[in-house]
Amino acid sequence: MTTFLLKRFLLLIPTVLGVVTLVFMLRPLLPGDPVDFMLGENALSADREQLRAEYDLDKPVFTQYVIFMTKLIKGDLGRSIHTRRPVLDMILERYPATLLLAGAAMFVAVLVAVPLGVAAAVRKDTVVDNLSMLGALLGISMPNFWLGPLLIILFSINLGWLPVSGMRGPLYIILPAVTLGTAMAAILTRMTRSSMLEVIREDYVTTAKAKGLAPGKVIFKHALKNALIPILTLVGLQFGALLAGSIITETIFAWPGIGSLVITAINSRDFPLLQGVVMTISLSYVLINLITDLLYAVADPRIRMGGDR
Amino acid sequence: MERQKKMKIRLVLISILVLVLAGACQPTSSEEPKRNDMVICLGKSPLNLDPRYNIDAASFRVTQVMFNGLVKKGPNMTLVPDLAEKWEVKNDRIWTFTLKPGVKFHNGHALTAQDVAYTFRSILDPKYKSPKRQSYTAIEAIETPDDRTVIIHTREPYSPLLVNLTLGIVPRKEAEAVGDDFAQHPIGTGPYRFLSYEADQEIRLTAFDKHFKGKPKIKDLTFRIIPDDTTRYLELIKGNIDFVQNAITPDMVPVVENKKEFQVIRIGGTNYEYLGFNLDDPVLKDRRVRAAIACALDIPQMIQAIQKGLAAPATGILPPQHWAYEGDVETYPYQPDKSRELLDQAGFPVKEDGFRFSLTYKTSLSEIAKLKAEIVQQQLKEVGIQVDIRGYEWATLLSDLTSGNFQIYSLQWVGVSDPDIYFLALSSQSIPPAGRNRGRYVNPKVDALIEKNRRTIDKAERKKITSQIQKIVAHDLPYVSLWYPMNVVIMKSGLAGFEPYPDGDLSDLWKIYWKD
Repeated sequence: MTTFLLKRFLLLIPTVLGVVTLVFMLRPLLPGDPVDFMLGENALSADREQLRAEYDLDKPVFTQYVIFMTKLIKGDLGRSIHTRRPVLDMILERYPATLLLAGAAMFVAVLVAVPLGVAAAVRKDTVVDNLSMLGALLGISMPNFWLGPLLIILFSINLGWLPVSGMRGPLYIILPAVTLGTAMAAILTRMTRSSMLEVIREDYVTTAKAKGLAPGKVIFKHALKNALIPILTLVGLQFGALLAGSIITETIFAWPGIGSLVITAINSRDFPLLQGVVMTISLSYVLINLITDLLYAVADPRIRMGGDR
Repeated sequence: MERQKKMKIRLVLISILVLVLAGACQPTSSEEPKRNDMVICLGKSPLNLDPRYNIDAASFRVTQVMFNGLVKKGPNMTLVPDLAEKWEVKNDRIWTFTLKPGVKFHNGHALTAQDVAYTFRSILDPKYKSPKRQSYTAIEAIETPDDRTVIIHTREPYSPLLVNLTLGIVPRKEAEAVGDDFAQHPIGTGPYRFLSYEADQEIRLTAFDKHFKGKPKIKDLTFRIIPDDTTRYLELIKGNIDFVQNAITPDMVPVVENKKEFQVIRIGGTNYEYLGFNLDDPVLKDRRVRAAIACALDIPQMIQAIQKGLAAPATGILPPQHWAYEGDVETYPYQPDKSRELLDQAGFPVKEDGFRFSLTYKTSLSEIAKLKAEIVQQQLKEVGIQVDIRGYEWATLLSDLTSGNFQIYSLQWVGVSDPDIYFLALSSQSIPPAGRNRGRYVNPKVDALIEKNRRTIDKAERKKITSQIQKIVAHDLPYVSLWYPMNVVIMKSGLAGFEPYPDGDLSDLWKIYWKD
């Protein structure tokens, strides 16, 4: 187990380094002169030079990289060009909203997908199976920017049950969470079904059935528990995708998360802010991957034992 | 046992359902008391609430109700007194402003000449890195002989100074004490004072009872930020937004107009959309070719198709309601036959492939920009010009325009106010990277007039000069003038007292009220 953990943590170093380097490269690789966007096109050349010096844009790219890394190690992501506030503060202000939304979307997805997937597997080739698979196909085919407004029109405008947009109370999360969680629910349903189908054919399930255990017990205690391992991996990986994928959903529902910040940063060419946000999303992905791996090891003894043998 | 369990589950499920429904269905009463609040919708998050630093439209709107400048723009873009009671100009270089008596900041402190001087000095100080510094460099010195007098000396006569004095005045002591953080809790003299800003959600303001023009009629003002066009429209028809200006897409305006809950106000705007030419281009440097392109475009039809009628055909950069507007200029109505004739004269006969020549049209990736490009492409095809449309991300487009790597482009001038815009747009001194004369237009006569205009303080004289500039530019055709998008305000039928401004200024929002 120790070797496994150690290996896993050591692997983090090159990954994080790669992420950070790519994020740094965003600026030199993006077209256009950032100073133009900061000061407008008719700025004084003296002001341009001053700003260039301040953001180290007058130095060679490699020196800029070293400065960027040094600041980063100290936790300094720089200041936003337009708001003039520390980028880190702006991200921390909005990150909880995004985590909340991604968490709620995940909850919705698991709540729908696991029972549906199990039902589809147990009742393979019946109406239940066909309907769930049709639902999954629909769920994965509906883009967020279409599903979101559709849900608003149905539940907010026509039925008047839920608020349209914003984050002003518990009810406000329902529509964005369903919008964001639908595609994920679809993937999870299919995954649960195939994973269950595989496990159901295993000898220990047959044994459990032969022992005369109640069908419910066989399915949930013996089969599902083992079928959950690949689902767990998928959930972990998808959670990272949800964080990044929330940009569109957040914009539709005026959800004040990191997705809205990405849009603001891009629209206003605020490169320190953009770098900060992209880095946060990427590092979250890396971190979630790590947690998934660790959980995976906890769930499946074969993985953690592997290292010790 | 089993049945009991099932019952329990059912009970839990039903109670959850009841709770959700109870929470969702808020009580609706038909007799609502008279409201004392208003919700305004913004399409983007304001980036900075300090008037010295903000350069985005959303921030302008919010700061306009919290701050006042020495002067403000009137309905025809004439500058009228705001914090200043009066002003006079000596030797064309010395501007003396007398402040109105009894003006208070939101914290109760009286406005003094020192606050005014500090506001401009901090913009001019490179240390503060204001993106607006360039507009104030004509200022040589600022004097404050007493609390109510501000004297601004310019290096040379500089008429555009006045329009830059619309900038909101900040209190010196408070702003100095907090530095960049001033934007987090701005203090001004405007009709509404700042309460809170929830990032990307809403900005809450409340009436400032001691506002020097009078107490605002509505107490609480909320700016809600809704970035998505469709969601904004849905919130509006749901009734959650009371007031929205230029943030509903043109195709949705007629739908809202048919609802009795809303009133729609349209007035001429100050934005100007145009097609720009690269005058260094071997084909486009011939005026006949540019005139032919202008005559080939059916602009009223484009306005219907793209703007749904919410725009007026343009004749030049300045809009008709501007004090210096000149309407008697050369125009180019839709005449495809004349267009073909001009192209023949210019030596571009139709070749075997059915085209005379081909042009590259660069534009941004927005839906409207693409639609516009496609219509231009279609209409120019009728006269034998092949157009190759290239859509670019904004930064790439701008860098191509700056370096002169283009033939035709389409853009707009936003918030046209002082006639000095011609300096930035068409003076030979403003060829990029120095300014925004992207088409490389050079006409020494126009250069001289632009320069004279900057150095003339007398408004009647400026009007004459500007009129000449407009006539020459309309003839020379560095741009094809397309249209001025209208300013469209949608508000609840119960609201009254709002005076719209061509540039969307909200400084008169304090006069708005709910009818009984």
